Amino acid sequence: MAISSETRLVGRLNASWPVEHLRNHGVHLVVVLALVAYPGFYHLLTNSPVSAEAVAILPRMPTMIALLYFGLFAMSFDFISGYTGYLSFGHAAFYGTGAYFVILVANGKAPLLPAGTPFMVSLLLGGILAALLALAIGLVSFRLSGVYFAMITLGFSQVMYVFIRGWDYVASNPRDGPTVGSTHSEGFEIGVPYVDQLNLAIGSFSGEEVELFGHTLGTYTTSFYMVGLVVLVSYFALQRIVHSPFGRVMVAIRDNEERAEAVGYNTLVYKLGAFVISGFFGGIAGGLFAGYARSVTPENTFYFLTAGDALLASIIGGFGTLAGPLYGHLFDETIREFLSNAGLGGGLLPYLRQRLGEGVLGTEIFGGLTVEGFITAALNGHAALYVGLVFVLFVLYLPNGILGTLRQWLGGPVSKRVPELLRGLR
Amino acid sequence: MIPADIVALAGVESTLPVLQSGTSFLDGLGQFLSPEALVSVFVEGLAKSAIYVMIAAGLSLIFGLMGVLNFAHGTLTMIGAYLAGIVMVVLVGGATGQWGRVLAFFGALAVVFVLVGGFGGLVEVGLIRKLYDRPPIAQILLTFGVALVLEELARIIVLFYGLQPTSEWQEALGTKPAVLATRHSLGPLSIRGLALFEILLGFLTVVGIWAFLTRTRYGLFIRAGSEDAEMAEALGIDVRRVFTVVFALGAGIAGMAGAVLMWDQIWGANVPLAAETLLPAFVVVIIGGLGTFRGTVVGAIVVGMVDAVTTWWFVNVVTWTWLPDVAVFLVLVGMLILRPQGLYGVEEVGGH
Amino acid sequence: MTLLEVDGVQTYYGESHILEGVSLEVEEGEVVALVGRNGVGKTTTLRSVLQLTPPREGSVRYRDEELVGLRTHEVADRGVGWIPEDRRIFSQLTVEENVRVAVPDGEDADESVAFAFETFPELDSHRGRDAGTLSGGQQQMLAIARGLVGENDLLLVDEPSEGLAPQIVADVAQALAEASTETTLLLVEQNLPLALDLADRFYVLDNGRVVDDGDANAVSADDERLRRYLSA
Repeated sequence: MAISSETRLVGRLNASWPVEHLRNHGVHLVVVLALVAYPGFYHLLTNSPVSAEAVAILPRMPTMIALLYFGLFAMSFDFISGYTGYLSFGHAAFYGTGAYFVILVANGKAPLLPAGTPFMVSLLLGGILAALLALAIGLVSFRLSGVYFAMITLGFSQVMYVFIRGWDYVASNPRDGPTVGSTHSEGFEIGVPYVDQLNLAIGSFSGEEVELFGHTLGTYTTSFYMVGLVVLVSYFALQRIVHSPFGRVMVAIRDNEERAEAVGYNTLVYKLGAFVISGFFGGIAGGLFAGYARSVTPENTFYFLTAGDALLASIIGGFGTLAGPLYGHLFDETIREFLSNAGLGGGLLPYLRQRLGEGVLGTEIFGGLTVEGFITAALNGHAALYVGLVFVLFVLYLPNGILGTLRQWLGGPVSKRVPELLRGLR
Repeated sequence: MIPADIVALAGVESTLPVLQSGTSFLDGLGQFLSPEALVSVFVEGLAKSAIYVMIAAGLSLIFGLMGVLNFAHGTLTMIGAYLAGIVMVVLVGGATGQWGRVLAFFGALAVVFVLVGGFGGLVEVGLIRKLYDRPPIAQILLTFGVALVLEELARIIVLFYGLQPTSEWQEALGTKPAVLATRHSLGPLSIRGLALFEILLGFLTVVGIWAFLTRTRYGLFIRAGSEDAEMAEALGIDVRRVFTVVFALGAGIAGMAGAVLMWDQIWGANVPLAAETLLPAFVVVIIGGLGTFRGTVVGAIVVGMVDAVTTWWFVNVVTWTWLPDVAVFLVLVGMLILRPQGLYGVEEVGGH
Repeated sequence: MTLLEVDGVQTYYGESHILEGVSLEVEEGEVVALVGRNGVGKTTTLRSVLQLTPPREGSVRYRDEELVGLRTHEVADRGVGWIPEDRRIFSQLTVEENVRVAVPDGEDADESVAFAFETFPELDSHRGRDAGTLSGGQQQMLAIARGLVGENDLLLVDEPSEGLAPQIVADVAQALAEASTETTLLLVEQNLPLALDLADRFYVLDNGRVVDDGDANAVSADDERLRRYLSA
C-alpha cells in the first residue's frame, strides 16, 4: 500500500521521535532485553522443577560470555567476508593481536604502557594495533581476490601463529601462551577508567560482584553484562556503517566489483577501509577474551581454526547479516555444551542419568554396547561432528543461514520488516 | 609442518657431533657446507619434497580442473594413513620377512587408493555436484564442512578401538621392515632408509601422474578441461564425469600419501595429521601455481628443500623454534606478494 | 531437410533478458548468417543452441530432436560444433593435441589429425608447439580444424574475422567456404561483406529478436534494410 509523501511527513510529525526510534529498533530491543534477562532467566530455571532440563539445554554463563566476545569476532569476520565477499581466512590474526596485546600490557611488557594501564585503554589500543595490521595485510592482499585473497590472509595469520608460538618474550612458555600475572592481579575493568563507580571488573574470579535490589550478581553475571555492553556498542557501530553509503559500496563490491569500479568508486580504498574496521573489532573481541579469561594460547587465538569457527558461525547464522554470526555461534556453543564431555552444568549424559536412571543407561543396544557407552563414544565430546553436519546441510540447502533465510522469507531485514508486518496486522 | 619437539627425530643428523646452540653463524655455515651435511640435507629435502608432492598433487589437479580448493584434502590423507595402518597391522605378523612387509605395503597402497579414491568420487557426485551452479566459494566451504565431519568421525572410531587420536599409531609404525626403519651408512654418510623409499614413491607418483596426463586420452581431457571447461564440454567431453574422476583421483593420491606417512615417525597415523598435511599442501600448490602439475612438482621441491635446510639450521645451530615453519610460510607470503599466480600458474583457473 | 529449428527462444543471463523470442531455421547444406549490432544477442543465440546458456522458454530442434534440456556435451555428440568468439583454443596443449581432443570417441584419432593437417598445411609445421604460441589467424584456423574433425554436421561459427588483418580474413573466409562444402554453417559475423559473401541466407537480430531475413545473394552490404539495424 503506497503511502504518499505528505502522509508520511504528517505521520512523522505526529509520532514523537522516541516512538519512531523504538519502532525502527524494536527487534533489536527485544534481542537485547532477552540477553539482559538471560542470567536471571537461567538462574530461575535452574532452580525450578525443570532444573534438570534447564541445566542440560541452556548454556552456562561462562559459555554465554564467550558467546559475546567470540560473537563480536564472528561479526567482524562477517563484516568483511559477508559484505564485501572477500573471505578473510586469516582473521584470527586480529583476534590474537588484541588478546595478546591486552595481556602483554598487563604484564608490563608493552613499551610505553605501564602494567596499570586501564583495560579500556589497552583494549582500544589493541584494536587500533589490529587495525594497523589489517591495513598492512590488506595493502598486500587486496591485489588478489577470491581464493587467492583467502589463502594469502591465511598465510599471514599462520606466520603470526608460528611466530608467537616460539617467541619467548610473550610468555615463559610461549607454546602455552601468556597469562596475566601479579602485575595486574585485579580484574580488568570495563567502564569509565579511574572512576570507580562507573566501572566494573570482569573475570570468573577477578570480577566484581554487584548488589542489586537485594540480589547479588555474581562475577559471571557482571562479566556478562560488561562484556555485553562493549559488544553491543560495537555491534551498533558496525551496523551504522553497514547501513551507510560506505556499506552500500561494500555490498556493490560483493555483487559486481567491476561495475563498482566502472561507476567510479575506488574499490581498493573501500576494501581496505572495511578490512581495517573489521580488524579493529576483531582485535577488540580478542582483547575482551583476554580481559575475561586472563590467559590465552596460540591455539585459541592465532590458529587458523579460530577463523574457521567464525566461518562456521557465519554460515549457520547467515553471511552478510551482521547479527547472524552471533546466532550461529550461539547454536554452535549450545550444541557443544549439550554434548560436552565434562558434563559441567549441562550435557546429555547427566540429564539422561537423572531423568531415566542408570537402568536405561546400562541397557545394551547391541554387541555389548550400552546406551551410556554409545553416548560416550559417539556423542559426548564430539559435538564437532554434528555441528559440522549442520554446517554441510546449511551450505547445501540454506546457504543464507538462519538469519539470512529468515530475511528472505520476510522480505527484508528483520528489524524493519517485523514492525511493518505488525502494523499491517493492526 | 613438523611439531618442534619432534624435530629432534628428523633425520637431519650427520655423523658429526651436534653443535650447541649459540654457535656463531660462520661456524654453522662451515658445518653446513660440509659434504656430509649437504648430502644429508639434500636427501632429506628430497624425501620431504616427495611427501609434499604426494600430499599436494591431488589438491592441484582438483583445483586446476574444478576451481575447488579441497579443504578436506588433509582429512583424506589422514584416513589413508589409518586405512593403510589397518591393512598392515592385519597382514604383518612378527615373523613376516622384510620383503613380505614391503609387498604388503604396496597392497595397502592399492587398497587405500581404491577406497579413498572411491570415497572421493562419492563425495563429488553426492555433495559437490549439488553446488555447481553456485560460486566456487560454496564448494570450498562444503569441503571445509566435510573435513570437520570426517575428522570427528575418525576421532570417534579411533577412540572406540582404544587408540589415542592424537598420538601416532605405534603398532602401525611397527609394521615397517627393518631396512626402512634404520639408517644406512654409505661411507661417512648416514641416510634414513625410509627417506629413500619416500623419494622412490614420490618419483613414481610424479611419473605416473605425468604419464597419465600427457599420454592418455583422459589426461588430455583433464588438461583441456582445466584450461577451459566450457570449451571442453562443447567439444563433446562430459566435463562433469571428468570432475568426478579427477576428484576421485586426487583423493586416492592423498590417501596414498597418508599410507606413506603412516610409516614415517615424524608424522605417523593420527588425527592431527589432517591439519598437518593440509597447510603444507596449500603452501606447495600456491607457490607452484594453483592448477598446474608442473608447478606442484617444483613447488614441492622448493618447500621440501627450504624445510630441510631450515630444519638443519634449527637443529644444529640456531635456537629459533619456529624457523622451519615460518620459513615456509614466509616463502608462501613472498610468492603471493611477488607473483600471486605462483611459479607456473595461469591467471584464470578452473570453473565449469 | 531442416537441420536446425529455433523457435521462440527466450534466454536470460541472470536477470538480464537477452533473447526475447528468437526464431530461425537452418537447412542442411546451407550457410546462414546471423548479423546485428554488438550486444543484440548473436552469441547468446549460439550458446542457447548449444545449451551452454539454456533457454528459459522456447525450443531448439536439431534433426527434429529437442535440444533444450540436454547437456552441452550431448548436443556436441549429436554433431553440433562450436567455433567460438576468441577462438578459445587450449593454449597449454600442443596444436596437435588441440585437434586430437576434438575427435569424437570411436573415431580414428590419427586419421582425423592427418586430415586436419592436410587441410591446413600451415598448422602442420607447428603441430608440436603449444597452441598459445600461434598467431591470431593460425589460432582461427586451428579452431576451424577442430570444428571439422569433430564430425559435425552443423558448425556454429562466432565472429571468425574478429581481430584479424584483412589478408588473414581472406584466408579464413576461404577455409570457411571450403568447410561449407562438407558441413552446414550458422555464421555470426559483424563483417557484413564477409557474411553476405559466404552465406546463402541471412537473419538480422535486433534487441534479442529476429527482425529481418532474406537471401544473402540478393542483397548488398549497402542495402538500406541492413544499414538500419547495423549502424553502431
